[in-house]
Amino acid sequence: MENAIEVKGLAKYFANFKAIEGVDFHVKKGEIFGFLGPSGSGKTTTIKILTGQLDPTEGEAFVFGENVSHLKNPKARKRFGVLTDNSGLYGRLTIYENLKLYCELYDLPLHKIDEALGFVNLKEESKKKVSTLSKGMTQRVILARAILHEPELLFLDEPTSALDPVNTLHIYEGLRALNKKGTTIFLTTHDMQEADTLCNRVAFLNKGKIRLLDKPSELKKRYADSTLTIELTNDEKIQLRKDAAGAEEMYQLMKENRVVTVHSNEPTLGDIFVKVTGGELI
Amino acid sequence: MTFSWKRVNAILQKDFKDFSRNTAVSIVIFLPIILAAVYGRMGLDSIQAHYMNINMTFAMVGTYVQCCLIAEEKEKNTLRGLMLSPASTLEILGGKSLLTFLLTIIIVFFSAFLSEYKPANITIVAFAIVLSTLFYIGIGTLLGLVAKSVMESSVIVLPVIGIFTVGSFVTAWTEKYPILKVAEFLPNVQLIELAEKVEQGAGFVQVFSNLGIIGIWVVVVFALTVVVYRKRMID
Ligand SMILES: Nc1ncnc2c1ncn2[C@@H]1O[C@H](COP(=O)(O)OP(=O)(O)OP(=O)(O)O)[C@@H](O)[C@H]1O
Ligand SMILES: [Mg+2]
Repeated sequence: MENAIEVKGLAKYFANFKAIEGVDFHVKKGEIFGFLGPSGSGKTTTIKILTGQLDPTEGEAFVFGENVSHLKNPKARKRFGVLTDNSGLYGRLTIYENLKLYCELYDLPLHKIDEALGFVNLKEESKKKVSTLSKGMTQRVILARAILHEPELLFLDEPTSALDPVNTLHIYEGLRALNKKGTTIFLTTHDMQEADTLCNRVAFLNKGKIRLLDKPSELKKRYADSTLTIELTNDEKIQLRKDAAGAEEMYQLMKENRVVTVHSNEPTLGDIFVKVTGGELI
Repeated sequence: MTFSWKRVNAILQKDFKDFSRNTAVSIVIFLPIILAAVYGRMGLDSIQAHYMNINMTFAMVGTYVQCCLIAEEKEKNTLRGLMLSPASTLEILGGKSLLTFLLTIIIVFFSAFLSEYKPANITIVAFAIVLSTLFYIGIGTLLGLVAKSVMESSVIVLPVIGIFTVGSFVTAWTEKYPILKVAEFLPNVQLIELAEKVEQGAGFVQVFSNLGIIGIWVVVVFALTVVVYRKRMID
């Protein structure tokens, strides 16, 4: 299968500061790929390079097999959609008018606007002026604009950072449906839960370098702890190994009726991130 | 390079809606019309007076308004959105210039009507006005792209407006300060010279050098604008 994105030895320096360095990865067609990292780790910088808004200092990046420097070709831009923190809307125009402009730029029928508004749960508000919208609503309009033309590849830079839980779940559903129809999604986030529920594979980025890259389930297996946590009737918590000795002890405890709860210590993506990078997520 | 009128028109329609709701900027277009009406009443009908008006329109609508529109697209990151859409450089810059182009032409026409300017050869004058409009819009676009914000754009646009409008007075001092002779090559000075020649019965051949010089300004400004725009596509 052809790759949607291929990145080789990518680096970006701002003066002497290395925003990203030696970044290698690929995103398969049809995948939802998560790019995770704390604030300032280089997520937005990578998206900007992949969408031709920034030239890399070193290395190469390919989107649909084409070097990203060719994205200056307008036809190539039809194939992807972008949501970043530097995406802007026209404040004096309504939501509908903003999307209408893009419908015409992409040569789409106007009924696509309704579909996109349904996607982000904003059908009722379409006549509202954009300057009067809340932060979360603005973010949803930008998302609607990014998916308007059902692109083959979607770049989402922290798409749910300003959303409430209900809208977040609604957007997740929409993204999954879009992905089923064939859209490859490249998503950045510092929400590990989000990455876990949405992504087929994730890359951990820290201080400009990829520290780990795999399926969330694989990562959890790899970093799984071989102990169980047992909560006892006297409020004490003890750790037991998942071996014969542990089983023996467990047998005793249960026989004496002292066990309240039993938890397997499966790590969350957040735990793994902290373990790998030695730093907290912000 | 692709070019689709549909996309250019989409940007024009958007700009028209946006501009009509942006009273802080759109109010500016009435200035030249009011001035023209006053001149007409005062019976000032020398070529110099007519072109005071026309140059004012060029400066305020062609350059100032255009500069503000472009700077705002940049400041609000909406230009980035257009750049990431399938619209080409030509479609975006064309679409972004069309509204001010139409406004400039309409207002020049109205001011000329109100100040009762009746050129001896309407074809030549109309051609020269269209060419000059392109130059002033080009300068406005260029400054809008260079400025970091709308605030900054409205400051840097002032001296430029000064040079290209007041410039025509400077020529009066060329006897005393020969260095000011370069001012004779300014497009606004060339336009007035052309207009005066036309009143004396000149045809296209006699004003060819004036049109040529204005044309060179247009080409230079457009080339610079495209270069700066391409630079702006990359952060
Ligand atoms: N234009 C620039 N000039 C100088 N430094 C920059 C520039 N853009 C980004 N940086 C730096 O590069 C680093 C990575 O920035 P980037 O925006 O990619 O981080 P991020 O992972 O997207 O963070 P966040 O989660 O806060 O959005 C930061 O330290 C930032 O200060
Ligand atoms: Mg970012």
